[in-house]
Amino acid sequence: MGITLYKKPELENPVLIAGWPGIGNIGIIAVETLRGMVRAEEFGEIEPWDFFYPKKVSIRNGELKDLEFPSNKFYFVKTEKRDLIFFIGEEQPTEGGKVYAEGTKAYQMANLVLDLALKFGCRRVYTSGAAVAPIHHSARPKVWAVPNSEDLIDEIKSYENTVLMSDIEGRGGQGAITGLNGLLLGVAKKRGLEAICVMGEIPVYLQGFPLPYPKASKSVLEVLTVTLGVKIDMEGIAALIERSESEIGRLYERFPPEIREELDKLIYVTYAESTEPGPITDEDKKRILEDIDKFFKKESKED
Amino acid sequence: MSEKQPFRIYGKPELQSSSLVVGWSEDAGKLGPKVIDYLNKKLGGKEFAEIVPADFFSLGGVSVEGDVAQFPESKFYWCQQKNLVVLQSYSPRSDWYRFLGAVLDVAELYCHVKELYTIGGMVSLSAHTAPRELLAVANSPEMKKVLSQYDIARDFDYETPPGQRPTLSSFLLWVAKRRNMAGASLWVPVPFYLVSTEDPQAWRVTVEFLDKRFGLGIDFRDLDEEVARQNEKIAQVRISFPEIDDYIRKLESNLGVTQEENEKLVKEIEEFLRRRD
Repeated sequence: MGITLYKKPELENPVLIAGWPGIGNIGIIAVETLRGMVRAEEFGEIEPWDFFYPKKVSIRNGELKDLEFPSNKFYFVKTEKRDLIFFIGEEQPTEGGKVYAEGTKAYQMANLVLDLALKFGCRRVYTSGAAVAPIHHSARPKVWAVPNSEDLIDEIKSYENTVLMSDIEGRGGQGAITGLNGLLLGVAKKRGLEAICVMGEIPVYLQGFPLPYPKASKSVLEVLTVTLGVKIDMEGIAALIERSESEIGRLYERFPPEIREELDKLIYVTYAESTEPGPITDEDKKRILEDIDKFFKKESKED
Repeated sequence: MSEKQPFRIYGKPELQSSSLVVGWSEDAGKLGPKVIDYLNKKLGGKEFAEIVPADFFSLGGVSVEGDVAQFPESKFYWCQQKNLVVLQSYSPRSDWYRFLGAVLDVAELYCHVKELYTIGGMVSLSAHTAPRELLAVANSPEMKKVLSQYDIARDFDYETPPGQRPTLSSFLLWVAKRRNMAGASLWVPVPFYLVSTEDPQAWRVTVEFLDKRFGLGIDFRDLDEEVARQNEKIAQVRISFPEIDDYIRKLESNLGVTQEENEKLVKEIEEFLRRRD
């Protein structure tokens, strides 16, 4: 079980940005887009066979030639402001058919990622994922940020379009981040590294569909690029968003009219704590969210 | 994390340059378990080792199949006279690479295995009356040369289609290749309406190859009787249900059947074959 390095770049105080697939692929789209735009170069990988079942076999002329596994690759780039390391995992290691990584394998993988980060002198880690929120898909997704140290809270407060858990009404600063995007934060804390997970919001009613949600990835990218001091062209992700919007629009049209009517009210829901009164009452908001919850529970039972 | 051996050895096989035959418990046409049981019975296989299930299977209860509670077992047997090791195992649910490494550890360290064969059934759209052709995938040019001495289909190309995953046999073959152990996976097409029940013809074709390869001296009369018995049962279904006869005729004429016909065929044949005599 280990890491294979193809080269050993000289890096100065690099920042690690890690991404895995998850709800709406929000995190991985953001990290992968950033990696592509800054032209980070592949320099290593985690040996996958200890963590994953293979994804493809190639047989030529009756002979087994290759077995392909989900990739787990490291990339680096030296930008004007700082050196960056990217880690992009094609799958999360799971045990016993679970959807998100947990248990020994996930812990081992988190440690391997951080082994490499520490080897190159990294002290700061970003992970990225999805935050399921009672928002409408026409809204600009906010970014929920969770640090692994209180010392980072003031920094996060300076990020644009970003909220802390304590800003989310009814959460009291609490919550959970499933899978490796969350676990890496904890393991980084244990190993003395600063880490922040930035999660783009996805509407609650889209979380169960196998659709990417690049609109939230863009919100994450806006935060990451400013924080890392990197300028990128957003045209590529804008095109992705355009395609996703029309797909979501078509899906939305298939919802029963009474549900669409309820969901449309989410346009007016402000769930982040605010001092100003919203366009609908707290009672309305509670009822809308309960109705939506009931509808999707009923739908999933019918599937 | 505990890194102790994930297997238990409770016998002392006396084998040199032996061969390992692996059958998976959940297999199309019950090919894996039936062939392994048959070899053990015919060759007097003695159980000597097992892979400990706790690390590889979800043990939160048991599954029930055919009215009986199942438990994931991975047991090794050795057959001294024919210098053969056989493994019958459930497919692990996690930590596959470590599991397959443990299989090869037992084979190499305790039985000096030099050659590996996996057996398996694959779903076919042919009728049960079509002959079963044995296919083989080698993990090295040398192994391919060995297979060329036998009447096996071995020159095909294949890539896992999108949305599917490779078989555990392919994974094992790859792990063996990394260890420089010669290996081949043997495949028999099983008619789709026999996948969940039994396909004695597929068992026979597989045993026939192993018999030739290892000089086992198998008397095939009992297997031939099984094949004849099942053919007779399916012939009865065809007489009792003209509709089913019609579907099978279509398959025999390479015409194919609709999804609805496919489902009816599977249902009727399975129900009939599962009826206890």
